[in-house]
Amino acid sequence: MRPGPSAAGHAVGSAVLAFLFLPVLAVVPASFNNSSFIRLPPQALSLRWYHAFLADPEWLRALGTSVSVAVLATALSVVLGLMTALGLDRAPPRLRASIVALVLSPLIVPVIMTSVALYYVSRFVGLHGTVLGLAMGHTLLCLPFVVINVGVALKGVDPNCQRAAEGLGASPWRVLRTVTLPLILPGLVGGAAFAFVTSFDEVVISIFLSGSQAKTLPVKMWETVRVEITPVAAVASTLLLALTVLVFLAVQIARKSNRMGRSYD
Amino acid sequence: MTLVERSFASLETGLLLLPAAVFLAGWFIVPLAQLLLLSLADPRGAAAPYAELLGNAVYRQIFLNTLVLAFNVTWICVLLAYPTAYLLTRLRGWLLGLAVYCVLIPLWISVLVRTFSWMLILERNGPLNAVLVSLRVLERPASLLFNNTGVVIGMVHVLLPYALLPIYSAMRTVEPRLLLASEGLGATPLMTFRRIYLPLTLPGVAAAATFVFLLALGFFVTPALLGGIHNLTAAMLIDNFVNERLVWPLAAAASFCLLALILVLLLAASRFLQFGQTLVAR
Repeated sequence: MRPGPSAAGHAVGSAVLAFLFLPVLAVVPASFNNSSFIRLPPQALSLRWYHAFLADPEWLRALGTSVSVAVLATALSVVLGLMTALGLDRAPPRLRASIVALVLSPLIVPVIMTSVALYYVSRFVGLHGTVLGLAMGHTLLCLPFVVINVGVALKGVDPNCQRAAEGLGASPWRVLRTVTLPLILPGLVGGAAFAFVTSFDEVVISIFLSGSQAKTLPVKMWETVRVEITPVAAVASTLLLALTVLVFLAVQIARKSNRMGRSYD
Repeated sequence: MTLVERSFASLETGLLLLPAAVFLAGWFIVPLAQLLLLSLADPRGAAAPYAELLGNAVYRQIFLNTLVLAFNVTWICVLLAYPTAYLLTRLRGWLLGLAVYCVLIPLWISVLVRTFSWMLILERNGPLNAVLVSLRVLERPASLLFNNTGVVIGMVHVLLPYALLPIYSAMRTVEPRLLLASEGLGATPLMTFRRIYLPLTLPGVAAAATFVFLLALGFFVTPALLGGIHNLTAAMLIDNFVNERLVWPLAAAASFCLLALILVLLLAASRFLQFGQTLVAR
């Protein structure tokens, strides 16, 4: 009853899934190398290059810049995204369509083009080489995910809950704070987590906006890797990888526990 | 609602939408407009940068290379994604969970990290060459890095999830009873696939192909790190104009040529695209 030669298809499918996931892990053993260049698999494991990473003020400063930029970009995206999603929820269709198009357009315009345009403009307004400039640049890419995630969550809210609160005399602000926000929290947290990771990992906008003053971890990695394949870059990669996987798993677990909590209702 | 209430409600909606609209206008639309002005405000004449770009055989070749690369990456992605998406529709329970994680986790991981991983794997002394030589597939280590092979492998890896998700969501909407009916009427599995399953999932394939192709056209990091001097893409050309040669009008003109290409394709394919779905899946 299955269409096509399934067995062969399933073998290809399994191989493709392995191809998607396994290569990403190559940086992990590479980071625990003990020789002065990367050998895969490593001949002996050591923390030598982690010490080198931690002893280098440039890498540490890049890590710090990345954290500041990602926190600021996430805050900007969450505030702007939440307001936009709430506004879209009650906007007339035509306005909604144009705002959605505007919010999504940074994902359609090639990032290299956005980067060049921001590079050109940022130098005139004093945002080049600043944490704020970088965070604003990243927000262009993070905002759509927050708006969409919150929008989907808002669709799932039963309007009767809000009407009931209004009927009981709650002000619009109180309805938002005590009814709507708790109900859309999973969507908001998911969007915020993806915004954080998107900003933390972003390379192209960062290359053009960071200048010499605000190099993020991916920019420092990019500059290093273009010159030589060094184990320190594998350490930086492993840190980025670990952080991303941790945030991803945290979101999955939060979603799952939220769903279980609701099933008692 | 009274008129007063209604105008109050639309004021509220306006105030909610205003901050993001102002932000995007000031930090996205205006910079792009400035870039457009830059491409047009050439002392040699308004269209001079565009004429230089299109008149130069080297630049034309780079744009052509970008299109060919995007095309190759697209058909490989779709070919690999189709059976994989089908496998996903057959899996249940923890196996499905594991498979979905295999697709979603790479989407979250930095393109730079994934590209760097491929640099390590594809190296001349790297593990892939070692395996291929020990299996006697190759006599001696091959160059997999800093050439077209490396770029295609790396880009397929980065873009494959974008092909998988639309195909998977198209496959999930296929009514299983249609396949049973076809079988009951005496069709062979191949006939059922060719006449029922494939046509029903084709819109997903079209969306996947469009998606991958458009994203591939603007790729920068992966070809820059995995490719050699013969693998310049349009994005690398723009970077070169800005950071090496400091010719802003040419960079601006090249950017708008790339954007025009993308918009034309997007318009042609807009009926297959479901942006929202793929974004939520992340």
